[in-house]
Amino acid sequence: MMARAVLTVILGLSLCLVGPAASPLARAAAPPTVLEPEVPLAHSLAAFRQAVRPGGPGKDGIPAIDRPRFESVAEADAWLAPGDRVIGLQRDGEARAYPQRILVWHEIVNDVVAGTPLSVTYCPLTGSALGFRRGDGTFGVSGRLVNSNLVMYDRATDSEWPQLLGVAIDGSQAGRGLVAERLVWTTWGAWKARHPGTRVLSRDTGYVRNYRRDPYGGYNPRRGYYLPDSGRLFPVMAEDARLPPKAMVLAFREAGGAAAVSLPALREAGMVRLTLGERAYVVIHDPGLDTGWVYRHPQGQDIDPAALRFGPGGAGGPGGEALTSVPAFQVMWFAWAAFHPDTLLIGEGGTP
Amino acid sequence: MTALARLLAALFSRPATLAMMAATTLGYALLFLWLSGDIAGGGRGGVHLSLTAWQRMFESRGPLRFEPVGLVELGPWVWTFSPLDTLIALGLGLLLGGNLAGLWLARREPAACPRRAPRAAGLAALPALLAGGACCAPLLVVWLGLPIAGGLAVLAPWLIPLACLVLLLGLVRLAIGRNQQGSEGRGGGS
Repeated sequence: MMARAVLTVILGLSLCLVGPAASPLARAAAPPTVLEPEVPLAHSLAAFRQAVRPGGPGKDGIPAIDRPRFESVAEADAWLAPGDRVIGLQRDGEARAYPQRILVWHEIVNDVVAGTPLSVTYCPLTGSALGFRRGDGTFGVSGRLVNSNLVMYDRATDSEWPQLLGVAIDGSQAGRGLVAERLVWTTWGAWKARHPGTRVLSRDTGYVRNYRRDPYGGYNPRRGYYLPDSGRLFPVMAEDARLPPKAMVLAFREAGGAAAVSLPALREAGMVRLTLGERAYVVIHDPGLDTGWVYRHPQGQDIDPAALRFGPGGAGGPGGEALTSVPAFQVMWFAWAAFHPDTLLIGEGGTP
Repeated sequence: MTALARLLAALFSRPATLAMMAATTLGYALLFLWLSGDIAGGGRGGVHLSLTAWQRMFESRGPLRFEPVGLVELGPWVWTFSPLDTLIALGLGLLLGGNLAGLWLARREPAACPRRAPRAAGLAALPALLAGGACCAPLLVVWLGLPIAGGLAVLAPWLIPLACLVLLLGLVRLAIGRNQQGSEGRGGGS
């Protein structure tokens, strides 16, 4: 026991002197990117860089999970309540649930799903969960924020990527965009009903955290920092009072512009049609997961909401074959408006 | 240096000051660990101990904040135990306790009472309470919903060293004042 303690101290001091050893993951390649991302930038990259603030913890002070372990629905039922929030991912028949109460402490999971390396990312301050292809590389938490939003860094090039933008604002990848993967912000009960064979991220993360407690408040029920009218903690580049700051919206953007739909308005309408630039879109509410799916909508194509069926990849049914899926995600209104001040908003004045 | 050693000897040799320092150290350490998020709710009742991550003991997770090595559950409480965080908490608590006990001692010994006792030295321990917290903000700021986390994050690396320095200076001032008054007392002054 004594020898172990002495060895730990010596190893620790060595690490302090020489710095953490570069992990094999850190030497991997840059993430796959697109040269001209379909993200309308309301501010220049230089303006985003100027707006970056330290968040408190240092680089990797919030440790990403690089070797995630998973467990069954039955095992997860022992510690997850049906109303607890999870971030769901479905790809090629494989379903994964990442509990919010774990991700609030780690923010990034570098995973492989159905053979594809992906990063599942979550920013508690902006309530946003976005997935990205990572190739052979991995992402880490820089400890910095822009518009209250997590700034990730890729460990191959050290470029900095605000999560909500998905575009590098600094480093050799500046201006390039990540390839998004749809995640679903829903409840554990709803996710396991849709995906009974889902695997669930285990609390055995390799780190010691109090996974029964969320330092910001809670979603089951919603309280603390997550309450719609509560204040934000960090400065933002633009403010918009059309909705309460923490009201959750379903948001998406393409080169033609950005749009947000308030969840209550989407629930009530079931389906919303809108136009950005010259493209028409349809947003369809999925009552099972209480989320929305966004599609490019060819003009003249009829969709009968009553005939739609919801499967692993979204809506299907008569008219569904002509729809092209667009990545969308749920996010707190203040953060979306800070990144996209010109955003279209559907459901203004709705109860969040 | 000798004056400080004499003050410390006086503080550690009297049961009353020793008890005051012990209580302050423990109380402040618990408050510090609670506000930095190391101690929180979520316990399942009873006592559970699991220390499984000693290899992370020296891994930093922020300015003067270190990775926990295990979980200690006591009733409704959960302590994510980091030996280095705990040492820092106890160290700050001891410095605060020394300041408070030193002031108390100075008042109990009129001949040794400094003319300008550093009564505000105890306040120096407060900034350190804002040093840790939730992933990206001090817990007090999150609970109060104050939009000042951006400014505090810039100061975060300095909060604990600053508190430590001011508390040390407080002790030194007490020691010097006590020494001067002692000399004057021996020389017939006061």
